[in-house]
Amino acid sequence: MTDNPMLNEWYPVGILTELTSEGRDTLLMGEPIHVARDAGGNPVVATKDGRCLPVRARYGHVWTSLGTPAKELFDIPEADQPGRRLVDVGVVRVKCSPLRAVENFLDIAHFPFVHTDILGAEPHTEVQRYEVQIREEVDEVWATKVKFYQPQAAKSAEGGITTDYMYRVPAPTVSILYKTCPPRPGEWDVITLFVQPMAEDLCQVWPWMALFDDQTPMTDLIHFQQMIFLQDRSILENQLPRLLPLDPGMEIPTRADMTSVAYRRWLKRHGFTYGAQLVAA
Amino acid sequence: MILYDYILSPDCYKVRLLAALTGTKITLRPVDFHPGGEHKTATFLAMNPSGTIPIFEDDGLILTESSAILTYLAAKTGPTWLGDDTPEMRGRVAQWLAFSQRLSASIGKARVHDMLNKPADIEACRKAGTQCLREIEAALVDQRLAGHDFLAGDRPTIADLACFPHSMLAPDGGISVDPYPSIRLWTRRVRALPGFIEMPGIHRLHDLKPEPGPIPERV
Amino acid sequence: MPQNWTAVALSRDVPPQVVIPTVVEGRELAVWRSQSGRIAAWEDRCPHRGMRLSHGFVRGEALSCIYHGWSYNEAGLCQRIPAHPDLVPPDAIRVPTLTAAESDGIIWVTAESTDRPPPKMPGFTPLRSLTVEVPASTITAVSASPIGEDGDLRLALAGIACLLLVQPLPGDRTALHALVAAGTSPTAQASVSRALEDLRHQAETERQAA
Repeated sequence: MTDNPMLNEWYPVGILTELTSEGRDTLLMGEPIHVARDAGGNPVVATKDGRCLPVRARYGHVWTSLGTPAKELFDIPEADQPGRRLVDVGVVRVKCSPLRAVENFLDIAHFPFVHTDILGAEPHTEVQRYEVQIREEVDEVWATKVKFYQPQAAKSAEGGITTDYMYRVPAPTVSILYKTCPPRPGEWDVITLFVQPMAEDLCQVWPWMALFDDQTPMTDLIHFQQMIFLQDRSILENQLPRLLPLDPGMEIPTRADMTSVAYRRWLKRHGFTYGAQLVAA
Repeated sequence: MILYDYILSPDCYKVRLLAALTGTKITLRPVDFHPGGEHKTATFLAMNPSGTIPIFEDDGLILTESSAILTYLAAKTGPTWLGDDTPEMRGRVAQWLAFSQRLSASIGKARVHDMLNKPADIEACRKAGTQCLREIEAALVDQRLAGHDFLAGDRPTIADLACFPHSMLAPDGGISVDPYPSIRLWTRRVRALPGFIEMPGIHRLHDLKPEPGPIPERV
Repeated sequence: MPQNWTAVALSRDVPPQVVIPTVVEGRELAVWRSQSGRIAAWEDRCPHRGMRLSHGFVRGEALSCIYHGWSYNEAGLCQRIPAHPDLVPPDAIRVPTLTAAESDGIIWVTAESTDRPPPKMPGFTPLRSLTVEVPASTITAVSASPIGEDGDLRLALAGIACLLLVQPLPGDRTALHALVAAGTSPTAQASVSRALEDLRHQAETERQAA
């Protein structure tokens, strides 16, 4: 596993405000780790055999890496923008490949069937053409000009609207969604999916949001996002094979799946294959 | 009527579901159960010393057990959901309301363990949950042989609503529901009731709606 | 000649618009009935993203995947992709299908091509299916009855002649599809149902002791 490039990536392993001095055990890519805070209140992460791992405290979460990250943790400039409410949605464990969890988050075509009457509804199922690129200068996957009709796009939304989206993948198990912000036209709400790979077919998902919404109580915002993600969970635990197939032929994409196609290509290019399957079984 | 509610809680969902089925307006007060643990704060412990949700409040009355809330809400807003008043049916409904506590203690616990990382003896919970599902399956076979579609009789009651959510959500806790054909058909009947609402993990029946558009024609 | 049909469910447990998951010879299948009553057994996997079709829904004569609503016609051919409502899906998008047939209230599936119709069970009426956490061999040992050529195990339960159709499942589990002598009263059938629970209990206890 030493030649696994995903070892050198950053992963979320806890919520900053939930850290305790006794800490808690968890798993990162099969390796048992301990996440705690020191006397000064700073997060510390160590392996079972006492090796201290690099740590970042950012976007409400503790980030760590089992290897030597070549890059600093990706930037979300909106996180520091005044007026945004930052929401730690809370961890959800899913028996699925961490890569499948990200891919599902990049998908809009399932909204009418999985998030019925909230993020989508029949007969408004059509996915219009959108743009996808791998931005070489930042080495990220981007999908832009994504539009979809939504009956209730956000907690703050009343009635159906056509919502604009952008998707961004800055790391193999991170996806950031930019979405029409009903109370503040012209701005984008930021909704992320931070995924902690525990094993190739087991992960913990830490959704986090940076929203312009002064009205909705914090608990409502958390519940809305938990409701959405838990609707996805029963899908994610029932995909076959459990690992994400990177070779074409195993699954059949259409034009609506362009983001997924680019994501898979980008994973393959970098050898980000923890949670993936390369040859059709 | 106020329900202190958590969107992912099957016990809260039962109450929301009965309210929807009887067309009753209740006020929902979301509780930050996860990650916040708000139900364990002093404010909530003052209302419910056991530190659980749901909590139901109406005109000074506070109820904290989902079966009691179902009973109260049905009596107040839709007495047919209590079943008829024969001793047999009252007994059966009470039986299943009590039984539903076993579902919460087994499947409910396995679910929050697997989903939200809460502590549990997971193997014991799964074993007990499987046993509960087998008992429901056997009971539904008996009901069918007696000509009845629902747990307590030939029409839906709060007995069904008390046991239905955990019976569908068992896979969330790693407990298979595949081996129970009678449970499958019964949960479909519940989901087909007019006014039914869903919760995450319990999908609505898309087959009740027609295909929205024409099938593109092959040439 | 070995029998190549496997009993997977009672007909009554798969009414129109119902889909169930099952396993035949190690293959995970979705068995479903269309609105007009046609029974089918397909691979339990949508070719699009691998979602289990047994979680899907039936409208008319088509089965749709719950994930993105892709619908498949009787032949297993994709007929509609909701994300592209006007697109005629290419023929390559197809779910592998197996042969399913019904006989005397039992749904049978075969993974091979066959000219032979599924077995008949004259004189019996279907009661219920149940899954036992033991391999079929433990059930034959406990019931002291051998399995016949059609996967049938004949024994008396609660004093009534019964026939169990044995479906081996992965993980050393077994589904039993139980039939009782035709004309058995509902009350007696309920007794047989309880006797089946007892048989399962014995088999699982036996297994644990072993």
